[in-house]
Amino acid sequence: MAETKRKSRDNPNGKKSKKQKTLATQRDNKRKRRGPRLPSKFRKELDRLNPSGAGRSPSGSDAEERIDSDEGEVYAGNDVYEYEEGVTEEESKKNRRFDQVENLEYEMPEDFEDENVSSDDENEDDNAGEDSSGEEEHGDGRHSRMLQEITGMPGEAFEGKKKKNNNVITEAYPESEYNPSRDVLDGHGQISIEDLLDPLHGTSGYSMLRKRVHQMERKSGPTPTPLPKVERKRLDRKAAYQHSNKDALKWVPLIKRNREAGTIIFDNDVDLGFSTVGAIASEFEPRTEFEKKMASLVYDEKVMDAHKKDGARLLELNEVSVEDERDRQNRIAKMRSLLFRHEMKAKHIKKIKSKTFHRLLKKDRLKAASSENQIDPEAAKELARKHEFERAKERITLRHKSGSKWAKRIKERGLKAQDEGTRAAIAEQQHQHSLLTRKMNSMNDTSSSEESSDGDESDGYSSGEQDRTSRLLEEAKEKTLKVINEEDEVPNSGLLSLPFMVRGMKKRDEAAAEEAKLALEDFESLSKQLDGSSRGENTKVGPSSGRMVFNAAGTQAQKSSKTKSDDRTKADRFYDDSDGENDIEAEDNNDDEDICFHKHEVSFFSPCGSQSFDDIAKDPGPKTTDEVAIFASGAWKKVKAENNRVKGGNNNADKKKSPVALESVSKNEDLQVFHSFTYLLISGTLVKETEKDLGEDSDSDSEGQMVDGILSSGPKASYELPSQAELIHQAFAADNVEDDFEKHKQEILNEENPEPEKPVLLPGWGQWTHVQQKKGLPSWMVKEHDTAKKKREEALKKRKDAQLKHVIISEKLDKRAEKLYTKTLPFPYTSKEVFEQSIRMPIGPEFNPATAVGALNRPEVMKKPGQIIKPIEFEEVDPHKKTEQLKHVGQKQKQKQKQKPKQKQKKNKIVVWRRGCSGRVSVRRVGGNGWSALGLVGRHLGWSVGVREDRSAFWGRSVGVGVEMVGRHWGWSVGVREGRVRVLEGQSAFGMVSRCS
Amino acid sequence: MKVKVISRSTEEFTRERSQDLQRVFRNFDPNIRTQEKAVEYVRALNAAKLEKIFARPFVGAMDGHIDAVSCMAKNPNHLKGIFSGSMDGDIRLWDIASRRTVCKFPGHQGAVKGVAASTDGRILVSCGTDCIVRLWNVPSSSVMESNDSSDKSVQVPLEEYVWKNAFWAVDHQWDGDRFATAGAGVHIWNHNKFCFNPVILLCSDKVLLWLSHDNMPLIYRSAPEKTFEWGTDTVISVRFNPGQPNVLATSATDRSIVLYDLRMSSEVTKLIMRTRTNSIAWNPMEPINFTAAYHGSLINQANEDCNCYSYDARKLDEAKCVHKDHVSAVMDIDYSPTGREFVTGSYDRTVRIFPYNGGHSREIYHTKRMQRVFCIKFSCDATYVISGSDDANLRLWKAKASEQLGVLLPREQKRHNYHEALKNRYKHLPEVKRIVRHRHLPKPIFKAAALRRTVMEAVRRKEERRKAHSAPGSVTTKPLRKRRIIKVEE
Repeated sequence: MAETKRKSRDNPNGKKSKKQKTLATQRDNKRKRRGPRLPSKFRKELDRLNPSGAGRSPSGSDAEERIDSDEGEVYAGNDVYEYEEGVTEEESKKNRRFDQVENLEYEMPEDFEDENVSSDDENEDDNAGEDSSGEEEHGDGRHSRMLQEITGMPGEAFEGKKKKNNNVITEAYPESEYNPSRDVLDGHGQISIEDLLDPLHGTSGYSMLRKRVHQMERKSGPTPTPLPKVERKRLDRKAAYQHSNKDALKWVPLIKRNREAGTIIFDNDVDLGFSTVGAIASEFEPRTEFEKKMASLVYDEKVMDAHKKDGARLLELNEVSVEDERDRQNRIAKMRSLLFRHEMKAKHIKKIKSKTFHRLLKKDRLKAASSENQIDPEAAKELARKHEFERAKERITLRHKSGSKWAKRIKERGLKAQDEGTRAAIAEQQHQHSLLTRKMNSMNDTSSSEESSDGDESDGYSSGEQDRTSRLLEEAKEKTLKVINEEDEVPNSGLLSLPFMVRGMKKRDEAAAEEAKLALEDFESLSKQLDGSSRGENTKVGPSSGRMVFNAAGTQAQKSSKTKSDDRTKADRFYDDSDGENDIEAEDNNDDEDICFHKHEVSFFSPCGSQSFDDIAKDPGPKTTDEVAIFASGAWKKVKAENNRVKGGNNNADKKKSPVALESVSKNEDLQVFHSFTYLLISGTLVKETEKDLGEDSDSDSEGQMVDGILSSGPKASYELPSQAELIHQAFAADNVEDDFEKHKQEILNEENPEPEKPVLLPGWGQWTHVQQKKGLPSWMVKEHDTAKKKREEALKKRKDAQLKHVIISEKLDKRAEKLYTKTLPFPYTSKEVFEQSIRMPIGPEFNPATAVGALNRPEVMKKPGQIIKPIEFEEVDPHKKTEQLKHVGQKQKQKQKQKPKQKQKKNKIVVWRRGCSGRVSVRRVGGNGWSALGLVGRHLGWSVGVREDRSAFWGRSVGVGVEMVGRHWGWSVGVREGRVRVLEGQSAFGMVSRCS
Repeated sequence: MKVKVISRSTEEFTRERSQDLQRVFRNFDPNIRTQEKAVEYVRALNAAKLEKIFARPFVGAMDGHIDAVSCMAKNPNHLKGIFSGSMDGDIRLWDIASRRTVCKFPGHQGAVKGVAASTDGRILVSCGTDCIVRLWNVPSSSVMESNDSSDKSVQVPLEEYVWKNAFWAVDHQWDGDRFATAGAGVHIWNHNKFCFNPVILLCSDKVLLWLSHDNMPLIYRSAPEKTFEWGTDTVISVRFNPGQPNVLATSATDRSIVLYDLRMSSEVTKLIMRTRTNSIAWNPMEPINFTAAYHGSLINQANEDCNCYSYDARKLDEAKCVHKDHVSAVMDIDYSPTGREFVTGSYDRTVRIFPYNGGHSREIYHTKRMQRVFCIKFSCDATYVISGSDDANLRLWKAKASEQLGVLLPREQKRHNYHEALKNRYKHLPEVKRIVRHRHLPKPIFKAAALRRTVMEAVRRKEERRKAHSAPGSVTTKPLRKRRIIKVEE
């Protein structure tokens, strides 16, 4: 009964579960069993200390335990506050087992040693400590306030032990002087708030208190039972979890951006700030004595102060005293007088005419100079320069070269007639001259000698431009001849002595000889021309005729042919012969025509033997091209005639000549020739063949016929044109395409499915010889062969191209190519095409411009060793913005973001800055020598403008050391390193870095 | 008539300095360069081979400890400094550049289980099995350098916080004054603020006496700012999130990973796996992701979970990525400051480097003399890896085995970049792939890996068959990313 009463008193709202009740009773039982006895006096004292009725609720024990938790279980047993709980619980037990006893005090000590009662839930509360107190129910707070009001005890007494409304039913108030009356405990009379407030009537703050009480009453419904601690904690955690998840969400765009960035850069956070001339100058530190002195004066405190103020004091500081001024004047006067005296002295000395005095003076000066030379390198250099100058002067004036009047006179009179002194003077002068000119001689020795020899030659040869050219020609000719003659040497050993090499070399030599001969011809013709012209000029002087000219050439040619007569090549013979022919021809012509015309003819026809008409036409030597045209036909006739004439005589000449002639003709756009070619084509015989025929046919008749044919083919236009198919057939008459293909396919088939080897009968192998002789091959061998054959046939049938007649499908797997393919599609790729695209373009510096290579080869993470990388810091990232290739981490990033709008504007154009504006420089990448990231755009007056990778531009000029160079102008070098624009070699210590838009 | 001539202006070909390279003009028309792909393939192959030739990752060992190295901490403010604690209570500060001990911090009685340095690198926190947290002043870097020649200096602890339980781990908050210790619970301390709690009993010599207002002597002692306890098991590791300094994660012997948020001063969530987590590392560049290293039952080696799991802190019911390659428990894990890869030290006596999103390791380091690796760290510039192992040595490795140390000229750098890009481009082709992936392994590891593969294959086969012989849909296989997760508690 008492229990129920207590229940109702503890929890006026009457919310309590049965379960809790039983729990409490169980605990009580436990306690009773163990509890030691506590003297009632002690207990009373405790009650006094803990007037809130600690025994009544477990919250009291809770509070104690909170303190306990620091020391652990060791102290738990010593906790004095435990007993009260024991008291209350015991009471409840008593209720069950025994009759109800009025005196509760007596039983309480029994539970003295009772253990920590708190449940697991409470344990968790312990951890929460003081923090958890804040979470307690309002009801508890009210109750304690009430108690406080009632008892008049200071608030601290209760503060530490705010009750926690637990589910556990607890015991009644221990009786004490502070406790309300017994009736109340028994539940006969409830104390209402009004009751408690009444005695306070009239005191200060009463009305306020009353108001609050009213408010509370109006609001208060039944206070719900607090949730169990486990549950509460879980809710707390859930809230915390949600909150932290929400908080984590802000990182997602940032992380995404970093992950998607092609390159993430962990850079030094370089912030140049506003670097202006003043800023850089302020960093100047005096180092030398002078600088320090200056600095001490400039940065004198007084002066600085004056500067900072209006500057009026500067004038005061600048004041000069009278003494100072006088001193200065005196000093200046002294200097002036000294100067004057010095001047006077110099004048006086200059006036002295005594030579000895001057000699002595000079000597002294020289001595002083020499001694100075030894000490001072600068002076030495000066002296050397002076010497050099003197030498140069000597070379120009030749003053000491006995050209003076005095020297001449002495020479005239003879040295012997002179006295010792004069002779010595002459010798001295010559020595001087030799000394002064020695170097010159040594330097120009060779050239001068050469010149002189040249001069001699020229003297010998007599002047004239024509002569010189002829001489040059002569020389050239000689040289070519020499080349031709030199050909014969063949090494006897080594690689070059191998037969094929010898052959090759011979061939090459022949070609060279041919060329040389052609060159020789050219020379000759030129020289002839020259001669001719000279003769033409000199016709009056000498009786020389065209004939003579020709002879001269002929003899020369003959001479040359003689010199290489050992060369038994066909070409040589041909050359000789042609020469001969020309001779003859010329003779003929000479007979017929006058000299003037002959001259032309010679000029054209002499090379005709070895050169084509074309060459002649191109030859600048001849006078006119009209004549070439005129002679073209004539020449042709002549060739023909000549051929006819020489027919019987020289076969060799014929052979060579005719094709040459033909060729030359063919190159002319002659209608007839064209006809002849069409004719040739139609008749189904190639030009080559005819040529071959010509070559083979020693008989010149056929050739003659041919020529006739050609000439006559023009009128024979009635030839019937064959059909297209026929033509094709004729054209590919020799090619069996289908057969070839067939063969090719068979070859491939054989290669891919090789035919089995035929069994070979080897005496004694596989069978006894006599059996072999009788039965031939052993049966198993035959069988094996057959099966192999069958297998092959089957394989051939199975081939994809077995049914396709005109197709070969190779089924061979190239093992070497296999390693160039992946077996499966690599992980991040989802389609083959994408993967192939990804490795399609090369990335090397050879295949890409320098501006692109850097971006192509940039690693995923760029960091510098020795650079501490800090963890990420939060920054706002727009999730919808397109990610960039480069990602800077840290402060750099922020800076970049700041610049963002600017960069967008700048896209695709270079911004021009005005000099003098200052701003912030941030060059992100260092350009190496290839300037991959950074290109210098322009320079002007030491200011450099460059473009960064992101197409923003910079310019600048600054001070620095160890910088990579970008550009240089007027001694200013601008470089970039670690994101700074710097000047490497400046004229002054001051520079400026600026950037603006 | 237009006459085509070759014209070259002298300006374009004149160098400004004699050191400048001659400018080369190239025709980039692909029609005249038909072999470019073949050329690049061969170059890639050669680059792969060269990488193998130059792969010398081991830089040096730092010896001095006389017991196993149990924990390490890097100095976030000083690149060269690294702290190490050993099982005999010795704490040392090493100069990585000279590979020598700079300073010693004597005081701990038992094993040092955790060391951590504050972000400014001035204060070192250490804790161990002797139930004491000690704060130390770290000698400044200038002292470190000048001390090179002289003998090791010895430091005296600034503070000592005595506690009831042994500590297992400690970690310092990024850019803050707090540090967290793990042991019987998770405690958050603030080294700039003293928290005093009244105590009844004297438990150590480090006690302060205070007089209460009524002149009664009260005994106070320093205490943690905050204590978390969720479950009763020992917490064995703790890591603050460097990106979000108020978030931390712990792992406990009850196979759980718990996330905490100091702003809300409450636990956030708890993940329970099948095996215990040895270590956790947060990705410094992705503050919502972390990777956990696992330790399994030691009964069957092949059944042991030697993998690392990367999680998104928001979705713990599924791992983002499973990193498998180790053949024994992973003891420690540390992220590269770039956030693109992490390094693990394992009980199988190897160190591996994984990409943050890759299932298999990119690199394995081992030496004959290196024993069980207990702790591993990436250097602050992501260039080196430092491992501490059972053989009482710290070892310094290059993070990229074939990296050329020292200053690189720009052209060299370009060349390296080109080779890297080529290798990356042709890495899927069989030959390049083979060369790049090939590693020589110690025999035991090779065999263990083979055994693991066999067992895994057998398990897979069995599963397949079971599936084939049961009603369709009745047997389902969980993906590997979910398989080891038991539940997520709230």
